[in-house]
Amino acid sequence: MAIQEAFEYAKPKTLREATKLLRKNKGAMVLAGGTDLVGYLKEGFVSPSLVIDIKSLAELKKIEFKGNALHIGALVTFTDILESKVVAKKLPVLREIAEKVASVGIRNRATLVGNICSAVPCLDSGPVLVAMDGVVHVKSTLGARKIPAEKWFLGARKTARKPGELVTGVSIPLPKGKAAGCYLKLGRYQGEDLAQASVFVLMVGGKKPEFRVAFGSVGPVPSRGRRIEKSLNAGESETAARALVGSEIKPITDIRATREYRLHMCEVMLERAVQAARARLTGDGPAYGAAII
Amino acid sequence: MADHKYIGKSAVRVDGKVKITGAAQYVDDLEFGPGLLYAAIVESPHAYARIKKIDPSAALKLEGVVKVVTGKEFPYRFGLYMHDRYVFAQDHARFVGEQVAAVIARTPELAKKAAKLVKVDYEVLKPVLDVETALRDGAPLIHPELGKYQHVPWFFPEKDTNIAHFRKVRKGEPLKGFEDADEVFEDTYTVPRYAHCSIETHGAVGLFDHSRRLTVWAASQSPHTQRHLFAEALAPLGITHNDVRVIAPFVGGGFGGKAGVSMEILAASLATTVQGSPVKVLWSRAQEFYNTYQRQGVVAKMRLGVKKDGTITALEQKLYWDAGAYVEYGANVVNAAGLSATGPYNIPNVHIDSVCVYTNLPPGGPYRGFGYSEFLFGLESLFNEVAKKLGLDPVEFRRKNAIREGDILNYGGKMNPSGLHECIEKVAREIDWGKKRVSSDPKKAIGKGFSLFWKAPAMPPNAASTAFLKFNEDASINILVSAMEIGQGFLTVMAQIAAEVLGVPPTKIRVETPDTDRNPYEWQTVASHITWSTGNAVKNAALDAREQILKTVSRALDRKVESLYVEDEKVKSREDAAFALPLRDFVINGIMMKDGTFRGGPVVGRGMFMPEFASALSDPKTSQGGKPNVHYTVGASAIEIEVDRETGKIRIPKVVLGVDCGKVLNPELLKGQVTGGMLQGLATVLYEEMRFDDKGRLLNANFTDYKIPTAMDVPDEIVPIFVEHEQPDGPFGARGVGEHTMIPAAPIIANAIEDALGVRIKSMPITAEKIALALKEAAALRKEEK
Repeated sequence: MAIQEAFEYAKPKTLREATKLLRKNKGAMVLAGGTDLVGYLKEGFVSPSLVIDIKSLAELKKIEFKGNALHIGALVTFTDILESKVVAKKLPVLREIAEKVASVGIRNRATLVGNICSAVPCLDSGPVLVAMDGVVHVKSTLGARKIPAEKWFLGARKTARKPGELVTGVSIPLPKGKAAGCYLKLGRYQGEDLAQASVFVLMVGGKKPEFRVAFGSVGPVPSRGRRIEKSLNAGESETAARALVGSEIKPITDIRATREYRLHMCEVMLERAVQAARARLTGDGPAYGAAII
Repeated sequence: MADHKYIGKSAVRVDGKVKITGAAQYVDDLEFGPGLLYAAIVESPHAYARIKKIDPSAALKLEGVVKVVTGKEFPYRFGLYMHDRYVFAQDHARFVGEQVAAVIARTPELAKKAAKLVKVDYEVLKPVLDVETALRDGAPLIHPELGKYQHVPWFFPEKDTNIAHFRKVRKGEPLKGFEDADEVFEDTYTVPRYAHCSIETHGAVGLFDHSRRLTVWAASQSPHTQRHLFAEALAPLGITHNDVRVIAPFVGGGFGGKAGVSMEILAASLATTVQGSPVKVLWSRAQEFYNTYQRQGVVAKMRLGVKKDGTITALEQKLYWDAGAYVEYGANVVNAAGLSATGPYNIPNVHIDSVCVYTNLPPGGPYRGFGYSEFLFGLESLFNEVAKKLGLDPVEFRRKNAIREGDILNYGGKMNPSGLHECIEKVAREIDWGKKRVSSDPKKAIGKGFSLFWKAPAMPPNAASTAFLKFNEDASINILVSAMEIGQGFLTVMAQIAAEVLGVPPTKIRVETPDTDRNPYEWQTVASHITWSTGNAVKNAALDAREQILKTVSRALDRKVESLYVEDEKVKSREDAAFALPLRDFVINGIMMKDGTFRGGPVVGRGMFMPEFASALSDPKTSQGGKPNVHYTVGASAIEIEVDRETGKIRIPKVVLGVDCGKVLNPELLKGQVTGGMLQGLATVLYEEMRFDDKGRLLNANFTDYKIPTAMDVPDEIVPIFVEHEQPDGPFGARGVGEHTMIPAAPIIANAIEDALGVRIKSMPITAEKIALALKEAAALRKEEK
């Protein structure tokens, strides 16, 4: 299918130039990987007056660890994440997430930042950011802002980005102690799929282990499971935590799954994700990416 | 069994090089120059509506728009087996997506834009979206004119109802059969609609030139049938068969969807409105889902009478098919399934009603398996339930009732040679039937499922195939046939058949896709019948050529014809070991005599095959008499699954399929059929499903929400077992096998799930979700009971 409507195209060389273009053109849209945008253009969902291609902005193509946080630039693709030594060392569960996004071809182009900008309810990058207090960095001609992930997602396909703002990257603060995580994504078959539901768990070791829990694809935005965290932090078992799932999420029935199955599977996935994270923390868990559900 | 040089060997695909190098052309690759016009379709947004007015004025104002065409220009009905379909909707639109008008423009973008500007006023009517509603007294009639429609003699429409065809089969004494039974079991199973999902969408280009010659290039399984239907439908314009030419380039997948005529009629018709300019109609993926053919849904209500020892005394099958808005092809699916809905079992008393029901959903039609997968899901599931209740092993139950050569078929004829029992034994052994494995993971349950299957080609009794075979100077050969290569390896197998007869290697034989002006007649590439039927035609053409060759040599060199034979591209003699005349020396130029004159000349063979023994005429009340099916291909299949008790997710360590194909012509290609067919079948039972809303709109006309298997979904091990009980009238004993490999997939899964978990799921697909929720419900029930 061909792109339906004509549009102007610009490829700025500097961030400043990019934000200027964004401010001047109300109907502009930003192109990074384009795996969402080009599809939307072809199907006629969007008709931007200008497409601003940011692929020349090399400073956005970086993965860095500094200030005890992992920074992921707006041009970092899921393949970059999979191949990053920093990610492998500091937050291997992010690879488990990246590996479950679409297919190889898409991962080679699609960016994590693009994923959170599209902000569809089934996005894979949401739960980890929400659970780990991730921060979204935006820039405009007026200055920079840092937006906590939980405040970033406002609704299905709705974010806190204001007109004229460009997302430059996200950062994920890493816990001080030894930690291990698990991301489980429910799909309809073994091939690439959008999540019917997803669960992210991070366990920080120590005398009193601390947990982070978030769900995806069971509401308009990724949601943190604070009651579950509290229960787990208090030393309750993951089996007991299952009973709290219904109080944390209110999934709907749609073409991909029924409300009942989503609830049921979030319970199962929560239990298994906690078990996997716990085992990984001690070094004898399933490898990241192994089939757990 | 004779030793063969090329038959039974895995000859390399003759279309391999052209496809691997990218030289192969598909419809959308063909160049038509700058004059090519493009059509976009104005589609009905309603499942059922009266068309009040069509206003094209806004669209016509767009620069570059050539024409807007509506049903007014083409008030003609047409169809393959029943004339119930229109080029464009006339006064009523009958499904969401039906073509109401078309815009022809200079670019595809313009055509699409203009199509949105065509204003159609509808009076929206309440659609009929399921068979139950359609069969209710006083249901709106989707085709009030049904009684007047022209159709083949083996259809029985019921006028003033929504029943487009009613196939009744009565064998033996069903009432008595049930009386004689020790126990009677009954149940209802349902199967939804499915899509073929060929990777190449439908496309066609039509050109009506200034001499009034109509040429259509189409992604097609049926070039000659398309020529015939175009000529029939457009006859009022003065167009005859002689005016119509269909050219079929390579096809990117068919699975039945590109048989007959669906959207291709648009290219043919629209071309006549812009004489001199070619018009392209190319379906989007969404259109591919909602406006070609769909596999029909079915509600199957069945009763089975059995003796305590497992002998089946009677079967009643009531199959209600959701055939959609137009059934010109789909009604024959209903017919074929009705004739065979006992499965490959010897059941003395049979009562089958197979009912083709109009609904306001997209037209149903041919899909690999042609109705057999649909009824087999319920039947083979019920058999397991019955065996369980009788305390019998499910394989033993099947073995006891499985059909044998010579047994009486549902319509009265005799069963052809059959290796069914051999298939049962070999498949059971391969899957280690009777041995239960326990998973080391307490969350996982392991189960095995078993099913038999059968299928006969569903075709008119006079469906024929023909072939031309011509030699070139180097003794290479061109074979001209009109069946289609749709991935199954047809071209290669035809080359092997000719190679075997003529002693010329398949690498020197070209077989290509057809042009109806140049290539001889073929009915259609459907029904798993072309290896058999076209194979016979090619074999006959090769025999014809061989006879010419041997006679020429005999005549020119004074050798007895009976002593001569061909081998290694030479004519040799049984009487004279030293004699070896290369074919290349004479197959074009003939053999020079002493006086300088020549004998022989270019060798051109001709072959034809039509099953002169077949007949579709029978008693409409019982289907007795006649011989509607040329032969059945039978087999058995088994699977082992590992299912997660909490998530319902299934892993498949092993699946086995044993089939009696008569004779394996090319083992690698046949293995490919088993892998592909099994995978397609497993997808239909595990996750594929067309979902419609309460307005009749298809909700998943895309691969985001209609899932087809990927490489990651292939079972760990697929074991094909080939049994060879030769088909007496098949080429080298072969019979059809293409569709069969997917037919048992649904029941083996359903039975394996029941074996593993004790839950019986009676509606397809059996998704992980359905399994998990069924288990949850069962657990809740157990809790309540306690």
